[in-house]
Amino acid sequence: MMNWEYASLEQFMNLPEVLVRVDGDSELLRELLALLDEELPGLLDGLHTAIHRGDLREMESAAHAFKGMLASLSINEGAALAATIEAAAREGDMLRIKETQAALDPAVAKLSTAVGLFLAGAKD
Amino acid sequence: MRILIADDEAVSLRLLEKTLQRAGYEVIAVRNGRAAVEQLCLPEGPRLALLDWMMPEFDGPAVCREVRKQRGHRHVHLVLLTSKDSKEDIVVGLESGADDYLIKPFDPEELKARLHTGLRILQLEDNLVEAREAMQYKATHDALTSLLNRGTIVELIARELVRTRRENGCITIVLVDLDHFKNVNDTFGHPVGDEVLCEVGRRLLGSVRSYDFVGRFGGEEFLLVLSNCEESNSLARSEEIRAAISSSPVHTAHGLLSITASLGVFASRGRDTETVEDILRVVDSALYVAKAAGRNCSRIFGLHA
Repeated sequence: MMNWEYASLEQFMNLPEVLVRVDGDSELLRELLALLDEELPGLLDGLHTAIHRGDLREMESAAHAFKGMLASLSINEGAALAATIEAAAREGDMLRIKETQAALDPAVAKLSTAVGLFLAGAKD
Repeated sequence: MRILIADDEAVSLRLLEKTLQRAGYEVIAVRNGRAAVEQLCLPEGPRLALLDWMMPEFDGPAVCREVRKQRGHRHVHLVLLTSKDSKEDIVVGLESGADDYLIKPFDPEELKARLHTGLRILQLEDNLVEAREAMQYKATHDALTSLLNRGTIVELIARELVRTRRENGCITIVLVDLDHFKNVNDTFGHPVGDEVLCEVGRRLLGSVRSYDFVGRFGGEEFLLVLSNCEESNSLARSEEIRAAISSSPVHTAHGLLSITASLGVFASRGRDTETVEDILRVVDSALYVAKAAGRNCSRIFGLHA
């Protein structure tokens, strides 16, 4: 497997760790990234809606799902931000939720762009 | 081995599915707790499951509780897969009925090792069930002929009498005794006698309906319970059974042996109130009459004759 293929994603993802998890299967990793690309907007929307409504339970649930998806792909910084929102929602700490969201949103946007470019490149 | 995985999150679900398929499992993947419960509670449902904690409708612990409630008689090995890793969460998960838990994101080797532990437990359970069934069979069947043993066939008479009375039906009990069987043992030895008993057992089974019962009452005596066999038909049925025993010689290590039997018959109507002891006494008397009449025949004896 050529790790250089994933160079554009390395700033987001712990590549050695995720490669162990997929047993070195580059096809599977591509498939998982495509699933991430597909699911990410919906998850982010869900989190935004919950924050907008001030629904702590829904925030916790959406952040938990977000965290799980990112952690599965060893996108550790993103997963840590989602975990912070999940914990803050449990504690009802809206200030920390909004501060963390301010960091999460651009990080997810960058990730989404990188994944999109990677997948477009993979099709070539 | 089939395994169910339940996770509402697509990436985790696919990663798990692929990892487990590579490890040789047949994977059933579902995306919510309700579907997990449905699959796991099917009679032939998977016996190994990996359940995400947070899922729509039923969460992982709720799935565990529901499965334990619905499928209590047969063990299903349930592993919670969760990013919740506080001691309180783990205790809640295990107390809900989970057998094990794994922290997400999972390590593939740890996942496989934990599932192997689950398989060992399931194998152990299978062995115990098998041993229990074998013991139950031995406790209810005759070791030589594999027919029902004396205790079981007598219990069955009692049960069938209750049913017959409840339904106001009828029942026929037949006691079969092989004629001059002592001569077979004395002349050809007990192994040949055993061959004869086994063959007669097979012939008896072949001569009754699937819902009748045949048991070895002791020595060369057999007891038959013919459900819904009316009094008017009981002697004719008994004669058919007798003919089945003597229809052709029995193949033994010592060659062909002609075997006949005498039969004592009792027919009960639903309104009768006889006990099992009464019936056993009556069929024994009827058998005595058949022996006295020259053997190789059936005699019926009724309490109400």
